Amino acid sequence: MRGWTLALVASVAMGAGVATAVVQDVCGPFTDVSPAFCPYVLEMYYLGITAGTSPTTYSPEAMVTRGQAAVFVSKGVNQAIARSSRRAALAQWWTTKRPEAIGLTPVTGPTSVASDGVDVWVSAQVPGTVTRVRASDGRVLDTWTGLPGANSILPAMGRIFVAGGDSGKIYAIDPAQPPGLPSIVVSDLPSSSYSLAFDGVRLWSANADSVSLLTPAPTYPWSIVTRTEGFTIPGEILYDGRYIWVTDQDAGLLKLDAEGAVIQSVPVGPEPGPLVFDGANLWTTLLHTDAVVVVSSVDGSIRATLTGNGLNLPNDIAFDGERVMVTSFFEGVSYWRAADLAPLGFVSTGGFGVSPLSVCSDGINFWVAFSQSNGLGRF
Amino acid sequence: MKPKLWFAPIGLVAALAGAATGAMQDVCGPFTDVSPALCPYVLEMYYLGVTAGTSPTTFSPDSVVTRGQAAVFVSKGVNQAIARSSRRAALGQWWTRVDDQISQIGWTQVADYPGLPIADGADIWVPGQVPGEVSRVRASDGKLLETWTGAEEATSALAAMGRIFITGATAQGTLFMIDPAQPVGEVVTVADNLGGGEFGGTRSLAFDGSRIWTAQAGTPFIPIPPYPLYSIAIVTPGSWDVQTITDGFTHPVAVVFDGTSIWVVDVGPPSLLKKLDAAGAVVQAVPIPSVSDYFVRPTFDGANIWVPSGDTHTVTVIRAATGEVVATLSAPGVAGTAAFDGSRVLTGSELWDAQTLQHLGTTPAGPACSDGVNFWFAVESAPGYLVRM
Repeated sequence: MRGWTLALVASVAMGAGVATAVVQDVCGPFTDVSPAFCPYVLEMYYLGITAGTSPTTYSPEAMVTRGQAAVFVSKGVNQAIARSSRRAALAQWWTTKRPEAIGLTPVTGPTSVASDGVDVWVSAQVPGTVTRVRASDGRVLDTWTGLPGANSILPAMGRIFVAGGDSGKIYAIDPAQPPGLPSIVVSDLPSSSYSLAFDGVRLWSANADSVSLLTPAPTYPWSIVTRTEGFTIPGEILYDGRYIWVTDQDAGLLKLDAEGAVIQSVPVGPEPGPLVFDGANLWTTLLHTDAVVVVSSVDGSIRATLTGNGLNLPNDIAFDGERVMVTSFFEGVSYWRAADLAPLGFVSTGGFGVSPLSVCSDGINFWVAFSQSNGLGRF
Repeated sequence: MKPKLWFAPIGLVAALAGAATGAMQDVCGPFTDVSPALCPYVLEMYYLGVTAGTSPTTFSPDSVVTRGQAAVFVSKGVNQAIARSSRRAALGQWWTRVDDQISQIGWTQVADYPGLPIADGADIWVPGQVPGEVSRVRASDGKLLETWTGAEEATSALAAMGRIFITGATAQGTLFMIDPAQPVGEVVTVADNLGGGEFGGTRSLAFDGSRIWTAQAGTPFIPIPPYPLYSIAIVTPGSWDVQTITDGFTHPVAVVFDGTSIWVVDVGPPSLLKKLDAAGAVVQAVPIPSVSDYFVRPTFDGANIWVPSGDTHTVTVIRAATGEVVATLSAPGVAGTAAFDGSRVLTGSELWDAQTLQHLGTTPAGPACSDGVNFWFAVESAPGYLVRM
């Protein structure tokens, strides 16, 4: 024990109530702000939203232009989002550049990843397993077997649903049970299932040529309704809180009504694949165009088409509450800030990762599946 | 009028759905002068408590806004967004513990003489200086899960890359690593030449996304020549190469990363917060009060760096983007360590709102970290304790 100043716990309560902010009587650096406005003006200053109109003035009676209002609101939103991230509370302000430095989390042949908030679930198409990895420390907890074709994963209703790929099945894992074989939710999908979504009522499956709606029931199998009209080769499906959206390699980005009928088709470009929602916009990647298209969920308008920033055969896409990550087959991961679509850089995984594939976020880290390296990278 | 219907049959609820209305929607809440196109946004401002309107029945949507009014709108809006985004909101934990005494309910006994703890998102890791152990405590229930051994003079913890890194304030300066996915056992020594010297070893570390930075203070307050070595060390994970830098530093006690740059608290004299470039060269120096606390941990809140001083019982709040001092806060319980939980900063035993810099209260506390729900502080004693706030 080598403390020079060891305050006893009991002693520090002395003098409570005399705390002061030294600068408050003059409203921080500003001399022209009335006491009624001062707390709010100071917060703007402390948050870095404004520096005032001069080093000593804020000009509280001056009018705000639309341009200034845009600065105020967007900087305010950015601070709110940054501070609300779990990374902020954990003092993890960095962006990991070399996750391989101390090794990947070993998982054989990972195909797809998803987080339930505590653990990361990893499917492996071959040999047909799903592995549960604790996100906090990367410990491999459990492995379920007997899921041939296991593809993308959807945690919902306290269960882990797994699209069965070419098996034509959908599996369900009860994470509260000891690992073993999964339940079979359905085994008679019209074609391969590659992606799942949940709208709060029904489970949706994007199949090789159709979309199926499954109605949950106490026992398996669940009843299926399949829609084919409007779909050619569906890719990824998700729910944005109001609507189901699905990418289709030929038809673009499709918005569906509650019964699975196509009600809008957004021409995002050729071969849209993976899809993610950031609370306002949908992001999809164009594999052979090296582009990411950002689409408004409100009206389906295209907000931006993003290129560069390391995109090279983009594979998958994920959102962590603040940033969007895209994995590229050749060979690395790209970051954007979701609020303003600003590129945040590219991290090469060449030389260690060998083709990052699926990516998810647990709210703190992004987790990337490196199939050929038999591991997960934590970013 | 029916009696209260606590558990409505599902069919009945469905029948009523679609008939639900905000009783006053056609007049936009209390406001009679707001058009339907603007109404949802005006109502949100009203419901969030951002504005009460220009009168009980008017919002005056076509009036211009002054910079003062804009400050009210934006800061109140940001405060609501931050408050509602916290995990504490979803858990219904709206309280702030600012008692004179923290009840001994929930104290977890940990390694002796604990130093600076860290949360990994699920567990709290607590370095114990003597005999050099690291305790792992589950944040949800405070259960002591594991005790790792072999961490001589363990002082400060960092969670990064799925590993736990611990500084050892040994004469040569040590960095230990724990792989928390492995069964509990001995820590791994990944570097043993950071510097520091007798009584001056490393007590602070930070990660910039690719490298770990440590501060070795030397012995600023026991000036018996020759001074022990002081340094900033940069450790590259994997190879564990150590680069030691002394140029530009006198007695660096702490390092912190703000998402862009590494900053160093150098207690000098003079006391300075120094911004470093990627090579470790000092590119900016901001004067701060003297700091002689044994444990020093500044914290970054997304905009500002908080540098506490137990000597002067002040916190210097410094804008990371510019190095400007935006405020100096004073309270008797401020000690050398700070922690940020997403909306509040705990400095020693003083709690502050990170948005307004308002003082929220005083409570017995110590070197702390946050897991996003609670602050956890260490009680430097034998046996040691970790306390949930």
